[in-house]
Amino acid sequence: MNALGIVFRKELREILRDRRTLIAIAMAALATPAVLIVISQVSAKTATQAYTVGYSGDIPTGLGILLSATSLKLEHVDDPATAAKKQVDLGLVFQATQIDEYYDPTRQSAQIADTRLQAVLGEYNAAKAAAALREKGVDPAVLTPLPLRAHPLSSVVKAAGNAFLSFFLPYILITMVFTGGLSAALDASAGERERKTLEALLLTPASRSRILVGKILAVTTISLVSAVAAITSMLLTLWQLPLIGTRVTLSPLAAAVMVWLAILLAGTFSSLTLALGTLAKNFRQGQAFSTPLYFITIFPASIILFIPDFNPSLAYYLIPILNAVLVLRDAIVQNSVAWAALGVTTASLVATGLVCWFATLRLFTRETLLIRS
Amino acid sequence: MSPAAVKVDRLEKTLGKNRVLRGISLEASSGEIFGLLGPNGAGKTTTLRIICTLLTPDAGSVEVLGFDTRAAPEEVRRRVGVVTAEIGVYARLSARENIVYFAELSGVRDGELDRRVDAVIDRLDMGSFASQRAESLSSGQKQKVAIARAIVHDPEILMFDEPTSNLDVLASREIRDFMVESRGRGKSVIFSTHVLHDAERLCDRVTILHQGTVVASGTTAEVRGSHRDLEDAFLELVG
Repeated sequence: MNALGIVFRKELREILRDRRTLIAIAMAALATPAVLIVISQVSAKTATQAYTVGYSGDIPTGLGILLSATSLKLEHVDDPATAAKKQVDLGLVFQATQIDEYYDPTRQSAQIADTRLQAVLGEYNAAKAAAALREKGVDPAVLTPLPLRAHPLSSVVKAAGNAFLSFFLPYILITMVFTGGLSAALDASAGERERKTLEALLLTPASRSRILVGKILAVTTISLVSAVAAITSMLLTLWQLPLIGTRVTLSPLAAAVMVWLAILLAGTFSSLTLALGTLAKNFRQGQAFSTPLYFITIFPASIILFIPDFNPSLAYYLIPILNAVLVLRDAIVQNSVAWAALGVTTASLVATGLVCWFATLRLFTRETLLIRS
Repeated sequence: MSPAAVKVDRLEKTLGKNRVLRGISLEASSGEIFGLLGPNGAGKTTTLRIICTLLTPDAGSVEVLGFDTRAAPEEVRRRVGVVTAEIGVYARLSARENIVYFAELSGVRDGELDRRVDAVIDRLDMGSFASQRAESLSSGQKQKVAIARAIVHDPEILMFDEPTSNLDVLASREIRDFMVESRGRGKSVIFSTHVLHDAERLCDRVTILHQGTVVASGTTAEVRGSHRDLEDAFLELVG
């Protein structure tokens, strides 16, 4: 076995005996399902929860039944405007020709109650208007002279599931690829210096580039394991847990794209974190160096959250990490791959990885590496 | 004197703004313990690091068993074993796994690996703790691991850089015995230390460095001259 394989095997053995790394992988696999279960329970509770409407005046005939049917509990109060501040979620004053509504938009319960009220009132007003027209012998269809018939080309619920995945999956992928291998990368670089094994290692006849590649491959492997564990557990949870009214699944094409991007990202991040670890005097300093990098890496995933319809030109796919997020988003939402974008993304990430590898090698072969230690 | 195993010629080295070596020359032969002596900061460690190719000289040359350190660094590293005061080991590997790792990186072939590792464990009397994780070993046991990994590929040249500075009396004694035994096996042993008492007892020849220059060189008896011991001679030379 050559030096690359020897270093790879030894690093993996050490990583698998490192409690910090194992805990990080276990956390990666458990954290996402835990978050999804909490989101699911909160959203289920929100959907079925009853909200209180404080009112004064006379409730129009039939409206009370409709409000109760949508879990809006009616409660008579003297002053709905005052009650809406704290005592109830909504305040309504029923008058002969209109309803005055009082609510505090800073309260989430008031917002939900308001949405339900709007829906109920919309149906109630439409039914009343239709009945009045019929009484006068007029077809209620005159109210909708241009009716819209929607023909969704794919399942609306499925699209909602894809939209959810298109944000969540890149975020989890990047976070887990980065954090899953971070501890191992710092241990394999700053750790060598801290425990004073670096000099002995560099005294062996093995070439430094092979030693470095062995380390990068080991860190890449553990990053991938971490990411795959997190994403598999997330997909299994989504499959079991109809979070948005459907079982969310990943198409084979999107899964293949994700695996490919995960490999590229893991290789790039491994080189980058090893470079930072090589600059650091010890593990703790390596962590301090890496923290800003974490925020930089998750920033592109956030763009998708705030600008979901962001459709940039091909040049944007040269930007590392952002390109991976965009390609993965497109693969999930459109279930197709823009090959040009994937090609540019691959070239960009490979180039970034090589630059990082070269920088790490330069650091690894500098005399100051030993002098500083 | 047998032909030089290590030949250092007019070596110069500056680290940062510090001119550490100012044209030193020395020769160490097979079958001898060669002492590289001097106070802290004299340039001993830098000299050893250049000999084992960790650093490159600014001027001058080093030959190890005929191989130039600049032209054939890997050939040099294959023939050198270095033991330092730093006894860092891979804590999550066992003592044996530590040794195997360095044996493999030093090019010991699979067919020979177990025999070599077993031999070195036996030679250093490490059998009782070879399978223990290094994190649970004492300083003396870790030093043995450090020696074992440096000699497992059976190098012709052994370099010891202040090897006893972090060890207790017993462990230090074992290191000294090991150096004597290695000399008996025909190895060239280079012993860098500022403990002149140890050097006087062990070394066949010595070179004394002071502020990056050689201030004395010869057999231990020659350098001691008419002084009571090597320490007195040293104090007069650098005084």
